Amino acid sequence: MFDGPMDAPAPALPTAKHRVPRAFVDMARRVACHRDLQRWALLYRILFRLTHGEGHLLNIAVDPDIHLLVRMEKAVRRDVHKMRAFVRFRTVTAEDGEAWYVAWFEPEHYIVEANAPFFTDRFASMRWSILTPDRCAHWDGAVLHFTAGLTRAEAPDADAVEPLWRQYYANIFNPARVKTHAMQKEMPKRYWKNLPEAELIPDLIRQAPGRVETMLARSHAQQTPGDSK
Amino acid sequence: MDLAAKLAVLADAAKYDASCASSGSNKRHSRDGKGLGSTTGSGICHSYTPDGRCVSLLKILLTNFCIYDCLYCINRKSSDVRRARFTPDEVVQLTLDFYRRNYIEGLFLSSGIIRNPDYTMEQVVKVARTLRVEHSFRGYIHLKTIPEAAPELIAEAGRWADRISINVELPDLQTLAPEKNIWRIRTSMTVIQQKIEQSKAERRESVKAPSFAPGGQSTQMIVGATPTPDRAILAQASTLYGAHRLRRVYYSAFSPIPSASSKLPLIAPPLVREHRLYQADWLMRFYGFDVAEITSEAQPDLPLDVDPKLAGAVRNVASFPVDLNRAPRELLLRVPGLGVRNVDRILGMRRWHRLTLADLTKLRVPLSKALPFIVTADHVPKLVAQLPAAQRQLDLFVPATT
Repeated sequence: MFDGPMDAPAPALPTAKHRVPRAFVDMARRVACHRDLQRWALLYRILFRLTHGEGHLLNIAVDPDIHLLVRMEKAVRRDVHKMRAFVRFRTVTAEDGEAWYVAWFEPEHYIVEANAPFFTDRFASMRWSILTPDRCAHWDGAVLHFTAGLTRAEAPDADAVEPLWRQYYANIFNPARVKTHAMQKEMPKRYWKNLPEAELIPDLIRQAPGRVETMLARSHAQQTPGDSK
Repeated sequence: MDLAAKLAVLADAAKYDASCASSGSNKRHSRDGKGLGSTTGSGICHSYTPDGRCVSLLKILLTNFCIYDCLYCINRKSSDVRRARFTPDEVVQLTLDFYRRNYIEGLFLSSGIIRNPDYTMEQVVKVARTLRVEHSFRGYIHLKTIPEAAPELIAEAGRWADRISINVELPDLQTLAPEKNIWRIRTSMTVIQQKIEQSKAERRESVKAPSFAPGGQSTQMIVGATPTPDRAILAQASTLYGAHRLRRVYYSAFSPIPSASSKLPLIAPPLVREHRLYQADWLMRFYGFDVAEITSEAQPDLPLDVDPKLAGAVRNVASFPVDLNRAPRELLLRVPGLGVRNVDRILGMRRWHRLTLADLTKLRVPLSKALPFIVTADHVPKLVAQLPAAQRQLDLFVPATT
C-alpha cells in the first residue's frame, strides 16, 4: 500500500477534526515498522480510543493496548539502534575503480527506510549499500534509493581491514573480568554471524582463565623476596 | 614492528581505562558530503567484548613508553611490558578505516609520557587536529589530557575533542604515583571546566564560536588497589560532580596486571564491588541520593550482597511503606525495585488509575524486592514496620503475603 505514487485523487476526507498527542504520532511512526501484523489493528484501536473520550490514554502505561504499543515501539527502537551499531561495511571496487562500501544486515523489523538517513548523515562522502532480506538501501554519493531484498550471498564476504579490527577486539578484551552474560544481553548471539569480530569470542573466553593464571604467576615470581625493585 | 603488532600492544595497554562513552556531545553530521561522520548525542556501542564492556571508540595509547612510575599502571617505567609507539598518522588512518566500516563512533586517545608532558600532549593533539582539519572528521574524539602539559595545549585539545579526561586514578594518589599530584589534577579540572562553560556561553551568542569539549570531562578511579572505603570514593565522586561538573566518574576494579608492583595486591577486588559503586553513583546522579544516605560511618563500604538502594531502604525503614498512589516523586525514587522510568509512568497515570500489584508486574517491577516497602490499592506490607532498622534478615526479602 506504500509502494509507488498514488495516481487516483485522494477520496474526500470527513471534515471532523481530531487531535491526538504528538507522542502518539511519533510512536505510531515507529510501531508501523514492526513486523507483527497486528500493528495496524492496534494503532487503529488506540487512535479510536484517543479520539473518543480517552484523550489521556497514553498516560496509562498499564492499559493492555498502551502496554503493547510501548513494547512494540521499544522493539523497533532497539532494532534501529542495533542496526546502527552492527552494520559492518566491506569494500568492493566499483566500475570506476573507486571503493563502494557494502554491508549485509538482518533487521528484525521493517526499518531499512526509516534508518537510512542515519547512514547518509554519517557516510555521505562514501558510496555505500546496506543489503537486507527485506529492502536494500543504496547511496551513490548524491541520491538515496531503495531496491528489493536480497540474500546474504550477494554481499561481499571479507574486507582488508577486518584483520586489524579483530586484532583490536581481541586485545581490548580484559581476560581478568569475564562477564559473558553482560555481553550477550547487549549483543545477542543472533547477530554474531554477521559480525567479523564475533568468531573470536569462544576462543577468548576459553583462553581467559589460563591467561590470568599466567599473568599472576609472572607477578608472583617477580615479587619473591630479594627482588625489591 | 608492523601495524597489527603495535595495535595489539597499544590496545592492550589502553584497556584499563573503563570509559568508552561516545555520548553527550553536540549533534553533528556530514550529509553535505564534505566530511566524514556524525554524532547523535547518545552514543552507540558497536560491539561488546566477553568482559561485558562496550566497544564504542577505538581506545588506544599513542605509545606505552612512559617516564613515570605510577605503581598501579601496567605501563610504568619499571614494568617489563612490551612497548610500542604509533605515529600520529597511523592513528589517524586506523580511525578513518575503522570509522568508514562502522566499527566505531570515533577515537579515545591516551598516551604514556614520553620525553616530557608537553611533547606528549603535542603528539596527542596533532592526531585530533589532523582528523578534524585535514579529514573533516565529525565523529567522536575523547582525549586524555596530561595535567602537567602547557595550558595552550590543553586548550587546543578541547578545541578538537568532544570529551576530555584526566584520571584521578586513586583517592590516595601520592603513595602509588609519585609524579602525580591530586591538587594539580584538580586545578587542571577547574581550568577545563571554566573553558567548557565559557565556550558554552559564547556559543549561545554565536553558533560560530569555537566549541570546547562539548561532551564535558570525565575521570576514572581505580577501586581496590588501596584500602580506601567506598564512602570516601563516593564522597570524592560527589565533589567531582558538584564542584567540577564532571559528566562521568568511572570506577575500575583494580585488575591484577602483568609485572605488578609489590606494593599492590595480587588479587582483584570482587567485580561486584565496582558494580555496587556504579549503582551508588547512579543513585547520586539520577535519584537525588546523598553519599550519607548510601553509606554510613559505621559501614563505610557498600554491602556486596544487596544493591545500595535496598540496603539504604532497610537502614531507613522508618520512611516506609510508601503509598504508590499518593507519595511524591522523591519518595517513589527511594523504593527498591522502582526505576526512574517506572516512577514517571506511575506519576503519569495516578490521576486516572489506582495502581495494583498486577500493574506493577506489567511494569516489570521486581515485586519480591518492592513488596515490603510499598502500599498499593490491594496491598499493605505486614512486616516492615516492626523491623529494627539494623536488621538485614532474609525474611525481609521474601514477598509478604497479602
